[in-house]
This record gives sequence, structure tokens and C-alpha cells, in this order.
Amino acid sequence: MSDSTRDPDLTTYRDVQVSPDFSELRRRFRRFVFPMTALFLVWYFVYVLLADYAHGFMSHRIGGGNITVALLFGLGQFVSTFAITLIYVRWADRRIDPDAEKLRHQLEGAPQ
Amino acid sequence: MPAAISVAAIGLVVVATIGIGLFGLRISRTTSDFYVASRAVSPRWNASAISGEYLSAASFLGVAGLVLVNGADMLWFSVGYTVGYLMLLVLVAAPLRRSGAYTLPDFAETRFESAAVRRICAGLVVGIGTLYLLPQLQGAGLAVQTVTGAPPQVGAAVVTVIVVINVAAGGMRSITFVQAFQYWLKLTALAAPIFVILLVWHQPTGVLDSLHGAAAAWAEPLSRAGGRDHPLYATYSLLLALCFGTMGLPHVLVRFYTNPDGRAARRTTVVVLALLGLFYLFPPMYAVLGRTFAPDLVATGGDTVVLELPGRIFPGTAGDLLGALVAAGAFAAFLSTSSGLTVAIAGVIDQDLLRSRLHRWTGGDYVAVSSFRIAALIAMIVPYLAFTVTGALSLADTVGLAFALASSTFCPLLVLGIWWRRMSTTGAAAGLVVGGIAASAAALVNVSGGPQGGWPRALVGQPAAWTMPLAFVTVIVVSKLTPDRIPAGTARSMVRLHTPEAVDVDRGPATLTNRAAGSLRPPPHA
Repeated sequence: MSDSTRDPDLTTYRDVQVSPDFSELRRRFRRFVFPMTALFLVWYFVYVLLADYAHGFMSHRIGGGNITVALLFGLGQFVSTFAITLIYVRWADRRIDPDAEKLRHQLEGAPQ
Repeated sequence: MPAAISVAAIGLVVVATIGIGLFGLRISRTTSDFYVASRAVSPRWNASAISGEYLSAASFLGVAGLVLVNGADMLWFSVGYTVGYLMLLVLVAAPLRRSGAYTLPDFAETRFESAAVRRICAGLVVGIGTLYLLPQLQGAGLAVQTVTGAPPQVGAAVVTVIVVINVAAGGMRSITFVQAFQYWLKLTALAAPIFVILLVWHQPTGVLDSLHGAAAAWAEPLSRAGGRDHPLYATYSLLLALCFGTMGLPHVLVRFYTNPDGRAARRTTVVVLALLGLFYLFPPMYAVLGRTFAPDLVATGGDTVVLELPGRIFPGTAGDLLGALVAAGAFAAFLSTSSGLTVAIAGVIDQDLLRSRLHRWTGGDYVAVSSFRIAALIAMIVPYLAFTVTGALSLADTVGLAFALASSTFCPLLVLGIWWRRMSTTGAAAGLVVGGIAASAAALVNVSGGPQGGWPRALVGQPAAWTMPLAFVTVIVVSKLTPDRIPAGTARSMVRLHTPEAVDVDRGPATLTNRAAGSLRPPPHA
């Protein structure tokens, strides 16, 4: 059980939490992740909506074959899911990890 | 004769599962091996294991059956399962991994500093896990019945016994190897018949052309092919449940702790998504072929289409062999998902119910691992008994309800708990209780027959679209009303959750991993 009122380190955590670096780190994460999540959810939900209200568009055959717009969009769902993940992972490696490293040096007082 | 080949194939899977499990046992030496596979599983191994565990009976048999019966809408199941994994990655995986908590109840306790919230979470983990184990046992029963004609209890009993043996013996590390093997077995078993069919016919378009006419309405999106009312609402609700429910599945989260760090966890997820996407290409193909070659299965619910299709298309030895392969893959699906769930549920039963009592009864004279083993037995026996009592629901329906329950309880707890610092302990408890009661009430009504049609049936059959927002609103309103119940350590929790692992802050003595490492001894025969 953690009893925070008797925790001597608690002030350190408060210091970190109010520090500009920490809020910057959190803000940057939120500014990227929340819009991205909203965007890809909208994309999945719009697909369902199109399937219901835009039959003509979705069943349009490309090149006269059996391939329809709906089929391409459907496969696109999987492709886009994968693409989003790749983008996120690259972003996290580039933009989050280096700053975390910096924050660590500040916390531990180690030289840069 | 075909039955004999299939039984032999299932037997091989069982033997291989136990064999790999025993191999894992030999190298499973410490408590950390037991619970988190020593956090030393490489991303590729781990990704195969996660996919092997995630692709359950519902994915292997249920999705094809649903698409066969209900039409193209049901493709949302495969998209939803995959997207659920992505949501888990971007919203909660990294912060949770950093919290140092190893199970959902651990997270709840450290974040909200409340034993009551912890207990509610423990109950929910057991509930969701049991609800998710039911369809696995059901699928096993169905597979054995289709292959040999034996009653469903036989297949379910076989899975129960094997899983208990494997989990109790080897813990997480051996399970990881078993599940990685099972992913590739499942993929091969599902893909091979399709490739044989395409090779034999040379022209895949011929298959598609044969669908024109009879199945045209079925292939239309949001048709009412399965007799569903309000298909748009039902599809949205299902999609919500799958997207936001995955993060609340007990066996999925535990897996993230087998990664050495957050970076490895992210890499693992990329591979997992590729593996899942690859797998989900195949169930719809079975459904499409089933419409042409096994239309009679539509009337029986379609869950057996994957098992029966090879025999229908290739009567004779080729069909028997392919059928045996598919049966083996299906069995791998039941075994791997059930093992993962059992590890997760048993961990919670062990820590929250059993260990302290056992400690008291025996006066401290016991080996900790044996309480985990007893917990594993309980975790599997209860769903088996429930299975023999409740009888058959459609595979994917039961799974859908488990997802709805997870998205209405753990999703608000995790998302708000990680991102909203004004969330109070009372708010967390209220959200869990309200969401949990609403979703399980819907599940109960559904299981016991439920309303016959129209809006009531749509709302009860796919409850997530109203139970999830209800839970979120409850958390927010109650938290606003009880600002004095915001946990005192919120500042520390937030720093822990949001500073990446590289930052060497003390992640707390209250977390399980530290506690367990100090208090447990290795398994007796290691």
C-alpha cells in the first residue's frame, strides 16, 4: 500500500509534474495521439456510413471487373491500420524517446 | 476414416502443445519466468505469441460463420479486432507498461489507492475472462462433434484438461513458446485449403462469378441478411465494442509485460498487426466459398463452415487431409486463447483471493507457485461447468458480449485514469459498477432469450454504444461531485505513467512485480 502523505519523495514528483519539460512531453504526446485516434476512428465509421448511404459509389466497379470501390476501401482499412501503427511507432521513437532521455539527465543531474 | 485422420491431427497438436510446454518448463526457473517470461521475449517471438493468443475460436471459426450467415457486415469483426489492438497501443499500452503494474487490478490500486476499486477490478477480470473462455470451450466441443460425432462436452473437457496442465506446469514462459507455435499452425491450417482450391481451379474469378445471382443481396453491406434490425446501429455498436474493448481483455494486457521495455512493446505491436491482418484475409474467403458449396450451413448458424468446407470441395483423401489440418488449427486456436486467459484469470484469483488465505491457513508454510496452480484449476473449471449448463450461443455473439463488458468498464477506467488527473476514487468505482451492471444485464437478457425484434433487440444484442458512454459519463459526473476523493498520490502516478522508462523514477514499492519478486520462491522442481 502506498501512503502518499508520509512519502518523503512526493515533493520530487510534484516538482517533476509542474516542470515545463514534463508538461511539454505530455502535451506533445496528447497533441499527436488524440487527433490521430479521432481521425482514424472517423475513417472507420465513415466507411460504414458510406456502405449504407452511398451504394452507387461503393459498388462502382473499377475497370469493369469484379473489384468495387467498397472492396478497395475494405482492404484499405487493414492497410491504413498498419500504416497508422508504423507512423506512431516512428514518431514515438523520434519525438518522445530523445526528450525522455533529456528529462532523465535533468532529474538525475548527469552531465549532457 | 476421415474422423481417424482428424483425431490423429488433433492428437498431434495436443502432444506438440504439451511437449513445447514441458520444454518451456525446463527453462522456467524463477518467479519472473513464471509470470512475465522474465521479460526476455524478443519482439518477433512475442508478436507470434500475442497473435496466437489473440486469434481465438471466434476468429478461427466464428468470423467465417458470421459472414456466411449475416453477409458482408460481419467483416467488421475482423477490422474491429485489429483496430482494437491499435487503440490499445496508442492510448494505454505505453503508460500502463510504465506504471509498473502488472495486472488491471494492480493498476487500479496504485492509481486510485483503494482496495475497493482493486476488488471490483479483480471481479471484472474474472467475469470477462470467464465470458471469453465460454466460446473457446464451445468451439472445441463443436470441432470434436463435427469431426467425430462425440457430444460437445468431450472437446471442451479435452481443452480444459490440457490448458490446466500446461498453465499450472509452465506458467508464462512455456505458454509463450506454445502460443507462438500455434499462431503459425493456425495460419497454415487456414491458408492451405484456400491455396489448394485456388491452385486446382487456376482462376479465382470463376469462384467469384459463381456467386452472382443467389448471393447478391448477402454481399450487399448493411443488408438484413441475418435477420438483424437496425444494421447501422448494430454495426457501429459492435465496432465501438471491439475498438475499445480490446484494451480491457485480461489476457491481452498481461502480454505487454513480457516485453523488455516500451520500445520493444511498440515494435511487437507493429508485427502483431501485420500478422493479424494476414490471418483475417482468410475467414471471409471461407464464407464466400461456403455460400456456393455449403449453403445448407446457413440454417445451422455456420460456425462449422471452416471445418466442413475442405471435405465438401474435395471429396476423398485430399479433402480428408485438408479437413484434418483445419481441425488441428482450430484446436490450436482453442488451446492458445484459453491458455492465455487462464494465465490472466489465475494470476488475479491467486493474488486477490487465494494467496493471503492460503498463507493464513498454512501458517506461511507453502510454496507460492502452488497457489497459482490451484488458481489455474479454478479458472478453468468454472467456465467448463458454465459451458455444460448454458448450452450453445453463437461463438462470436458471446465474444461480442465480453467485448461490450470490457469496453464499458476497463476502457473508461484506463483512458480517464491515464489522462485525466481530476478523476476521483469514487468516480472510478461508480463507473466500473454502473458500466459493469448495464453491460452484464444486457448480456443476461440476451442469453435468456431476450426481446424478439426492433430497437429493444438491437440495443440488448449490441449494448456497447449506450453502455460505454454511460460508464464514461458516470465517471466524469461522480468525479466532479467528489473532488475531495481524488487520490493524494495523483501527481506521482501521472509522472510515472507519462515519463518513458528511460527516466529512472522509482516506480513504487506498491507494485506487484517488486512485491512478487521479493516474496515468491521458484517452482519446486525447477
